[in-house]
Amino acid sequence: MFNETKFWNTFIIIIASLVVVYALLDIIVLRKLPKRSKNQNILINILLGLGLLSIMILLIKSLGMFLFLQTILDKVLSISVLALATTGIVLIFKTSMTTNFAQGSMATFGAFVAARYIIYLTSTTTLTEIQKVFLAIIASSIVAFLLGILIDVFIIRKAKYVTSIGKQMITMGLVLVISGIIPIIFGVLPLTIPRLSYEIVPLTIFGQSLTIPRHSIYAFYITMIVLVVLFTALRFTKWGLGVRATASNETVAKMMGVNTRIITAMSWAIAGALGGIASVLAAPLGGQVTTGLMVSYQVNGFMASILGGFSSFGGPLVGAILIPLLQGLLSYFAFLWQNAIVYLIILLIVLAKPLGLFGKKIAKKV
Amino acid sequence: MLYTVNRHLERKAKLHQVMHHPYFGFFVLGFLLLLVQIIRISGVNIPTTVLRGLGLTMIYIIIALGFSILLGYAGLASLGTAGFVGIGTYLIGYLTNAKGLSVSMILVIGFLGAIAIGTIVGFISLRIEGLYLGIITLGLSEILNEVFKNATAITNGTNGLLMNRIVLFGQYYQFNSNTIFIAIVFILIFVMILTLNIMKSPTGRAMLAMRNSESAAQAMGVSVLKYRLLAFIIATVYAFLGGILYMTYIGFSIPTTWNLAFSLFVLAAVIVGGSQSILGVVLGTFMIFGLDLAVFQQIPLFQENPAITFILNGVLIVVVVMFYPGGLARLITNLKYKITSLSKKLMKKWKAFKYGEDD
Amino acid sequence: MAKMIDSILKYYLMKQIDHLETKIAFLSEYQPILIEGKKAILTSKLEKLAFKQKHQLLPYAIQAGKIDDYLKEAKAFEIKKVEEKFFWSHRALKQSLKRNQNQAAYDASLASITSKKDENIITIEAKYAASSNLQEAIQAYELVVSNQKNEFDQLKTRLEKNYDVFATNKKQLLETKLSKLNDKLQTTMKQFHRFKSADNQLESMIEPDTLLKLDNLSMHFGGLKAVDELSFSVKKGEIFGLIGPNGAGKTTVFNCITRFYKATSGQIYYRNHLNEPLNLNQFVVHNVIKEGIVRTFQNVELIWELPILENLLVAGHTLYRTGFIGQLFNSRRIKREEMIMRQKALKILSDLGLLAYQYSYPIGLPYGILKKIELARTLMVNPQLIILDEPAAGLNDAETNNLAHTIKKIRDDYQATIFLVEHDMGLVMEICDTVCAISFGKKLAIGTPKEIQSSKVVREAYLGGE
Repeated sequence: MFNETKFWNTFIIIIASLVVVYALLDIIVLRKLPKRSKNQNILINILLGLGLLSIMILLIKSLGMFLFLQTILDKVLSISVLALATTGIVLIFKTSMTTNFAQGSMATFGAFVAARYIIYLTSTTTLTEIQKVFLAIIASSIVAFLLGILIDVFIIRKAKYVTSIGKQMITMGLVLVISGIIPIIFGVLPLTIPRLSYEIVPLTIFGQSLTIPRHSIYAFYITMIVLVVLFTALRFTKWGLGVRATASNETVAKMMGVNTRIITAMSWAIAGALGGIASVLAAPLGGQVTTGLMVSYQVNGFMASILGGFSSFGGPLVGAILIPLLQGLLSYFAFLWQNAIVYLIILLIVLAKPLGLFGKKIAKKV
Repeated sequence: MLYTVNRHLERKAKLHQVMHHPYFGFFVLGFLLLLVQIIRISGVNIPTTVLRGLGLTMIYIIIALGFSILLGYAGLASLGTAGFVGIGTYLIGYLTNAKGLSVSMILVIGFLGAIAIGTIVGFISLRIEGLYLGIITLGLSEILNEVFKNATAITNGTNGLLMNRIVLFGQYYQFNSNTIFIAIVFILIFVMILTLNIMKSPTGRAMLAMRNSESAAQAMGVSVLKYRLLAFIIATVYAFLGGILYMTYIGFSIPTTWNLAFSLFVLAAVIVGGSQSILGVVLGTFMIFGLDLAVFQQIPLFQENPAITFILNGVLIVVVVMFYPGGLARLITNLKYKITSLSKKLMKKWKAFKYGEDD
Repeated sequence: MAKMIDSILKYYLMKQIDHLETKIAFLSEYQPILIEGKKAILTSKLEKLAFKQKHQLLPYAIQAGKIDDYLKEAKAFEIKKVEEKFFWSHRALKQSLKRNQNQAAYDASLASITSKKDENIITIEAKYAASSNLQEAIQAYELVVSNQKNEFDQLKTRLEKNYDVFATNKKQLLETKLSKLNDKLQTTMKQFHRFKSADNQLESMIEPDTLLKLDNLSMHFGGLKAVDELSFSVKKGEIFGLIGPNGAGKTTVFNCITRFYKATSGQIYYRNHLNEPLNLNQFVVHNVIKEGIVRTFQNVELIWELPILENLLVAGHTLYRTGFIGQLFNSRRIKREEMIMRQKALKILSDLGLLAYQYSYPIGLPYGILKKIELARTLMVNPQLIILDEPAAGLNDAETNNLAHTIKKIRDDYQATIFLVEHDMGLVMEICDTVCAISFGKKLAIGTPKEIQSSKVVREAYLGGE
């Protein structure tokens, strides 16, 4: 169906030629221009865009339209889950100036609660499957919401004078704590969460007959609703204004009468809730609910944030769409190495653009 | 008589000089660890798990020392430790099994490889700001883990790689785990001395300056990139060395060992102990790894619930970062000060009791 | 291609000159320390011998009845010890009497310890009493004394001779080495100047007696023009003040000079200690200090985790020549370098009257002291141009006066040019030779303090026009 070696040859040629073009342009043209760094940035942007575009075209060409579209549909669930996880990470980054490594662990805690809740519902009530899972999603998000508030109030708020890297380490410690608590509370027996629906829906796009699981469609809708509500709130409510004010300068925001305590606590809570929803949606993919359920999403979420740049909400979302998509498409060529290749590509992009694809530079005062 | 008093004081001063020599503690620690082996040779039966735990703890101390330079001096929090240690294990495993290279050759290759990988990885990671370094290195360790799992030709995949025992002097001398234990003690002492030299040297000072105030350091002529890279390379070399020793001691390496939790444990050890002192790193590593390996695994409660150690370590990290940034090392110096002041106070009280108050 | 080779050669020569200069500096600083150390060893050896001889003489002196000062001292020491012991036991007895009210036991114990003390004192007296005035004893004593004197003199002459040989040898060695190095330096300088004359265009940009020259410097942050087409020059050896209202872009000028910001347009020329014109725009931030430009910061930027002395050593960072491997194994060279740098830092600290703080950490010290420490830090690298960013901010009047004195002293003692930004007009008018006033990044006036004080434009900028 497709030629693997030819694909890799072209792939490498594209990347190498981009690097060569950049180097040549930099040496021949840019050195002589007065505003080098600005032009360099524009050049890098154009080349990155070209590179991503040509890789996409190459993938479509070598995979064929059918496989390409099918992969996109297969990855809808991952993209939705990742988008939720990434938004949580960025939200916490904006208000607490730290990268929350415990995001995945909080979400996993929620998933365990959901799984237990489903067992409880099955034994006491006669609800249908979909209703139970919906209730479980709500339960999970509420528990993760409370967990977020707890973490903020008892730990992050108390660690006001700790540096950003110190806070980062606190969240790393929390990863250990939560992943230790889970087996003690929930036991070591395997728990499962069913899908919202086991139906597979046929679709026709561009004349290709494709399929998509209904679970993915539901997940997509839920994610869209949650994110739209969240972004509307960020843009139009007082809380959203507070978040943006706190993100730009916490001390000034505090002086201007913004209650940064509540803002931060709410951000942690909402990030937790987002994770809680994501984990219940993601749990059926792996079969069982384990402590490592969200680890890959956590790592991917971080990578997406790095790729898009932490300074905006939109950038990381682009990253969250690109990463699973690339992983899915590359899995046809190198099944075992898809993650490694995608991460390598991201590292290369970061090498060229340290602030991410959409990051903005903030001048530092000396 | 005066002369004898003088001689006595001189001798005391010399002893003081030896006892307060910066390397003295390292030799005491090395002696204590060797004592375990001496006790074993003299016929007392020490459980192999305890011996193994101590040996592993020493290896982890070496890894943590490198990490303490990275974290405590250069101020960079990396999560790539596990990956680098893993590379070290597979390097020696592959080279001895498949290529049959000699030990010195492997050490040289490992050293050069660590410098090369440290430079490349450091260069990529340090392009972006300190806070994101953790994330980038996390991604890197994921890549490395994937490599360990999938490059079956070298690493034997998820089944794990078994290594033959190292042979010295062309088949004449074969190491067993106890001789390796003794070798590790000496390597540990050597590494601790080198680390102390780095910490006290202009390099260590430049790194601390960079961590405290980047702009001041730059104004003083410290090239930030150079010293960050240097710290990264040092940490990588130590991790490689740790990996090589691990493989020679245990003889088996499996990708699941080199996961995020391992990196976090090393981080915990350094933070809990105090990232700027060697004593702290040693104590922290004993606390995080040593207690678990040599003591907790004998207790049924911990055997049944391995998660308790996770909670313990996590809580320790959080508490130490929030309330005790200096870690155990600071705690010990504070305690020392408190004990001396307390004993002085008691002495005064006793004197007042025996001789009456001063008029 | 030829140009490239030229630039590589030039770079190499510059490195060579750098290396030679630091080597010469180290040698000339190290040698006296070494010789002094040798002398200290000599005196301590002699002292030790004298002490030992006195002790050996003791029995003979007692025998011969010659109680000299040393013996009296020894006797007094022993008696004092006995009396001290008696004092404490007596005090303990009194305390126990207070508690037990047992007068009889107290009396008995007191009698016993008093008799014991008397006994001890008598034995000591007996030991030191001149037991005999026998001719033999006196002869033996004198013999020993003369022997000891001989011994002492022999050792002294030997040691002094050794010391002299050592000192002269070292001095000679140093001189030959220094002359050799100087020759080498001269030849390299000649070679270097040949290259330098090749690109003469920089030479024409900056006048010979000028240290620093800004040429149409602009720095824009987005739409904001923090510095706008600013030009002025700083002469060698003067104290130059830059004044202006808040937000005039003074600190931005500093940041452009020290390369923390990359200027949008314009050039910064500078003459280094080789009298070679440079364009600072081609430098990286951490290399500026190597050309002799040091700065302080508006908010004190010390290294809080290091004591004051080590803070100064960090500033001397660029002067170390030992590589990382040498530092790793704590080689003799790095030990020697550390010793010299410590001496230098101590000298600077004592010059500025900060010696008392050498071991304390910056946290908790008064603000004036911290500012002074920052000033001391700039002196570690033999600076040509010291840039002070608001040195008097946050200081009281007494501290400011002290600071003015210190700045003048630094200019005179260390032959450095000083370039400062300040809000305290009193300080500026008192110490500056030339003052430049700027507002919104544009130059208003430049001249002596008097001219600036009488300038109408400056007054308008500060107090508002019309």
